[in-house]
Amino acid sequence: MTSITFSQANNWKWGKGNYSYAIKSDENKRDFSFSSDNIPVFVIKSLLNSYWFFISDVDGDNCPFTPSCSNFFLQAAQKTNFIQGSLMFFDRFTRDMDFFEKNKRYPSVEDGHYYDPVSLYALNKNEIKYLPPSIIVK
Amino acid sequence: MRNNLIFLIFLSLPIYAQKIENNKFNLLSPTNVKKFADYLYCSGDYLRAILEYNRYSAYSEDDTTKFKIALSYLKITNLNKAYEIFNSFNQKSLLFSYAEMESNKIFFQQNDYKSLRNNFNKIDSLKIFKFPNNLKELYYFSYLLANQPLPPLEKFLSPFEKSDLPKLKYFYEWKSSSPYKSTWIAAMLSALIPGLGKVYVNEYADGITALLATASLSYLSYSDFKAGHIFRGWVFGGIAAGFYAGNIYGSIASTQIYNVKIQYDFVNNLKVFIGEKKYFTPEIEFCK
Repeated sequence: MTSITFSQANNWKWGKGNYSYAIKSDENKRDFSFSSDNIPVFVIKSLLNSYWFFISDVDGDNCPFTPSCSNFFLQAAQKTNFIQGSLMFFDRFTRDMDFFEKNKRYPSVEDGHYYDPVSLYALNKNEIKYLPPSIIVK
Repeated sequence: MRNNLIFLIFLSLPIYAQKIENNKFNLLSPTNVKKFADYLYCSGDYLRAILEYNRYSAYSEDDTTKFKIALSYLKITNLNKAYEIFNSFNQKSLLFSYAEMESNKIFFQQNDYKSLRNNFNKIDSLKIFKFPNNLKELYYFSYLLANQPLPPLEKFLSPFEKSDLPKLKYFYEWKSSSPYKSTWIAAMLSALIPGLGKVYVNEYADGITALLATASLSYLSYSDFKAGHIFRGWVFGGIAAGFYAGNIYGSIASTQIYNVKIQYDFVNNLKVFIGEKKYFTPEIEFCK
């Protein structure tokens, strides 16, 4: 009954979809531009561009999270400031190094990464939207 | 004369039979439209049921059809439209109490507790309202979900069944002394021993990882300084300081997430309880 009701309320889903079976990864979405109004963010972006080009893209998709740790650092610095962004990055890196049962603590995205957005860690209670690990984020 | 009458009756029989047959196969006759609408409603095709009920309403408008249209909107989660129809029921209607109850359920589902309480105070004085106890249950449940002081325990438990009292008492006590954790304590604990703030909010693995990372990098820094490798000492020392400070920050963030999580679990458990115990009754069973 619930599924029938749900399907009626979401009839836009019935349309034809354009699906790609290629593995989605952050590398495809990378923005190598340097444009930024903020000097610390500009510095971080320059360092990350080098890291992505010379190390990460060669090394492959190893970060278990979405956004990846490097993107997280950039987004955190953009959202807050350089110091808070750095603290958020160190905390994220600790969570990245943790080998114990991530699947019981984070929801997944469709490509298999764990969903761990910046908004959860910006110390703004109103922005924290808790998602149980059982769900798949689209 | 008698023969003529019999002849006329015989003559009219096929015409009468034809008329019945025509009506039976006229798919757009009011009776058939209603039958089809009921069929769609009972098979869960609410969107099309609304169309058919609306078509039927053009022939004859009755409260049951109106109620079913509103219920269909409710099922497809068009709560505003459903409320609009439920709210239009006249006090003289036999379905008035049911419609009022449904309106209050919509307030509850939309977390609009202020409107629920206003409506409760208004309806509670109405003698024609058939379900004062059900409404009272919904009213007191709203206190568990809203950010407002709770009524006294005895008053809170008064409308509920005895078998549910232990569970309700648990919900009440959880709400009255919510087991939220302090961000300050988490930060202090992490400042004292790296990772302890994470352990405080049950993130044991993160806590151990933070302790190992900070301790090993600090040791590397110390041994480099001791061996006279000043540059490496500063590099490892800097990274260790980053992990140390990041862990204090992370403990505060994790405590905030923990508090949101336990609130989420509480609301979820409460809603499951309400659903399982059918506290949203009374409901009219239209499909048997």
